[in-house]
Amino acid sequence: MDEAPQTKAISIEQLAMTFESIEGEKVEALHPVDLEISAGQFVALVGPSGCGKSTILNILAGFLTPTQGQALVGGEPIKKPSIDRGVVFQDYALFPWLNIIDNVAFGLERMGVGKKERLEIAAEYLGTVGLQDFARKKPSELSGGMKQRAAIARVFATDPSIILMDEPFGALDALTRRLLQHQLLEIWQKHKKTIIFVTHSVQEAVYLADRVLVMTARPGQIKLDNPIDLPYPREFTTKAFRDHEKLIYDVLDKELAKTFDLESKGRHVE
Amino acid sequence: MTLIRVTLPYLYASIAIIAVWQAVVTFTSAHVAILPPPALAAQTFIELVATGEIFIHIQASLSRVIAAWGLSALIAVPLGLAMGRWRRFENIVDPVVELFRPISPLAWIPLAILWFGISETGKIFIIFVATFFPILLNTVSGVKGVDKVLIRAGQVLGCEDEWSLFRKVILPASMPTIIVGFRIAFGTGWAAIIAAELVAAQSGLGYLIADGMEILRSDLVMVGMAVIGVLGVLIDSVFRVISNHCDWGT
Repeated sequence: MDEAPQTKAISIEQLAMTFESIEGEKVEALHPVDLEISAGQFVALVGPSGCGKSTILNILAGFLTPTQGQALVGGEPIKKPSIDRGVVFQDYALFPWLNIIDNVAFGLERMGVGKKERLEIAAEYLGTVGLQDFARKKPSELSGGMKQRAAIARVFATDPSIILMDEPFGALDALTRRLLQHQLLEIWQKHKKTIIFVTHSVQEAVYLADRVLVMTARPGQIKLDNPIDLPYPREFTTKAFRDHEKLIYDVLDKELAKTFDLESKGRHVE
Repeated sequence: MTLIRVTLPYLYASIAIIAVWQAVVTFTSAHVAILPPPALAAQTFIELVATGEIFIHIQASLSRVIAAWGLSALIAVPLGLAMGRWRRFENIVDPVVELFRPISPLAWIPLAILWFGISETGKIFIIFVATFFPILLNTVSGVKGVDKVLIRAGQVLGCEDEWSLFRKVILPASMPTIIVGFRIAFGTGWAAIIAAELVAAQSGLGYLIADGMEILRSDLVMVGMAVIGVLGVLIDSVFRVISNHCDWGT
């Protein structure tokens, strides 16, 4: 926790994914993508639904096997899920039969950390997200925002080199969302993990990430790779912040217009 | 307080049943061998309690159901876990299960006698048939109903092999549904003691009823039925408490 964690870079080479529907129709979810992510980077993936951002995340997690190309972590191709690549899910995915501290300690137990030590580590991370008083509660007794804070504590507790977050704040109200964004930045700056963060929200992406990748749908492609070098904490209202937002929206709007145009002409959208 | 609130409806129901029973006896002037009045049944019940005979019957029936139900759980839970997890295995086993499932425990009586004679094993076998399927089917649906995202969470939190995933995620996640299966199975097993104890039993509530029929003592029959009903409700409420305790709420 104290020493600089070993973070590994991610390389994605010609990664593509084609799903086959039940009728046998092939749907290209992800057009071949090349991408290099360096260690400690906070990368946000933004884009409309169906643009393949969750597909990339699921491949990186090891939940999906790409139909083409590969994703490498520290030079090793990803084959299956690993505790070294933590995931924060949109709907929290806390284990409902365990209380909060046991949820946070779950991965540590699997790593073979002794009971006393893992409860200490779990308590420390619960403190970081402000849940120290809820350690003995069951997930069902917590609000959505608190559940997601527990899930964030759980993923950081096992000290993975990469953290994948799939629209983690999508189901939360605006105020809770702000609080959690703030807490996430604090933990990230303290532990300097590589974070891949999928979101619908352009504002959230610019607020959190030091690099925003804009994806477009049909088939999923990266249209813009936008580094954000604004200092933290960022202000939504500054001109620089708005310029970044505008740049991203321009790309998204153009793509949306294209999609609508195609649809209004009655042509099938590939 | 809650105990009173829970038992009160059953008390009212019992009063209503006894009232209707008494009314039928009064208005039809039924012969005592056909429909004894509630008072006579109560008297018989008190006698059976006083001699301790009723407790021997209860114990006999209960231990048969527990043995059969435990055996079912031992076999049906692992089988159900495997069926719920591996589609290919389920595809093979499920048709076999579905072919056996509609066959009533009663239909197994002749074979049970042929195979196991009049021993205790035959009776346990009949109840086993009655308890097996509810546990199996609930286990299968419990495993299938485990949220996929919890399995993924388990995988990225260090359950890298199938066995640890089973132990740490799939089994606890499907536990509430499995416990519902235990509860339903105990109910069907308890209801099947009559069938089981038709096989040359010397004791048990089913024996009490069958014996009462043979010697034209319908008061014995009704006491047997009443005890089965009341004990059934009591056992079920124990399961309900366990079930609520295991239901973590989602």
